[in-house]
Amino acid sequence: MTKKTKILAISSPGGHWIQLNKICNKLEKQFDVVYATPGAQYKSSAKKGRRKIYAITDVSADSKLNLIPVIFQLLYILIRERPNTIISTGTAPGVMAVLLCKFLPIKTIWVDSIANVNVLSRSGRMVKKHANLVVTQWEALSDNKTIVYRGSVL
Amino acid sequence: MIFVAVGTQFPFDRLIENMDQWAADYDQEVIAQIANGEYVPQNMQWQRFLDAEKYNKNIKEAAVFVSHAGMGNIISARNHNTPIIVMNRQFSLGEHRNDHQADGVKWMAELSGVYAAPTQAELYTLLGDTNALQVSSPKENKKLDQLVGFLDDYIRTGKID
Repeated sequence: MTKKTKILAISSPGGHWIQLNKICNKLEKQFDVVYATPGAQYKSSAKKGRRKIYAITDVSADSKLNLIPVIFQLLYILIRERPNTIISTGTAPGVMAVLLCKFLPIKTIWVDSIANVNVLSRSGRMVKKHANLVVTQWEALSDNKTIVYRGSVL
Repeated sequence: MIFVAVGTQFPFDRLIENMDQWAADYDQEVIAQIANGEYVPQNMQWQRFLDAEKYNKNIKEAAVFVSHAGMGNIISARNHNTPIIVMNRQFSLGEHRNDHQADGVKWMAELSGVYAAPTQAELYTLLGDTNALQVSSPKENKKLDQLVGFLDDYIRTGKID
């Protein structure tokens, strides 16, 4: 049996995590998916015991000092898991992961949150030039080149 | 039956009070999950927290689900084919730490089967004609498969079709 392609899925808690789960519940059928998210709330969404979830420090782009531990946590996870691809629905931890993977042979996918209808999210704009694939969940926001639309979680 | 829920993290007294006043005037069964709210309902059945099984059963059996603007509840309503009315917490009323839920209802109202009611007046208008509320369209339910299929291809091939 060949080894399944490994994906690291990463997001902030709340709606971002819900969207990540909607996508990855299906991707898990084809790929080996591991997760990273700030710890407090993941227990309720995760199917207990079956999933590998790394807890990371809760950060927002406003708390810049917290970004430093997150960089080391992400590096640790990337080295340990050696994913082929990372996927994020936002926000700050996803941005950090995309930027780190720019220097590594890891594909990066950004799925912008469905809550951003009129303009790409702030974190989405930060990774726009750096992620290999940037997906919006609203057709009107797609330019079909750098930002693509191919459906949505809802 | 109308099921009302405000999530477990924060209270949302405005929504609970609006629904309690509505329940006083209409002969309809209303069940509410009120979290740590200070307002104690007089005209509807209520509990602070419900276990997941009871919670989902209520969503399934409800003619309408009235909720805070939470993505999890929208997904649950769609899974159970129940129309959902969402009211957003407002920063200006001290109901939230920031106003991110205000943008929240804008996109939610774009989805079929989801109705936004930022104010009491809009909420009562929607409740006034619940037969007109629709569930989500099957077409929208395919959007997730479309997205995941695309991502799946991209992960394998590294190419955008």
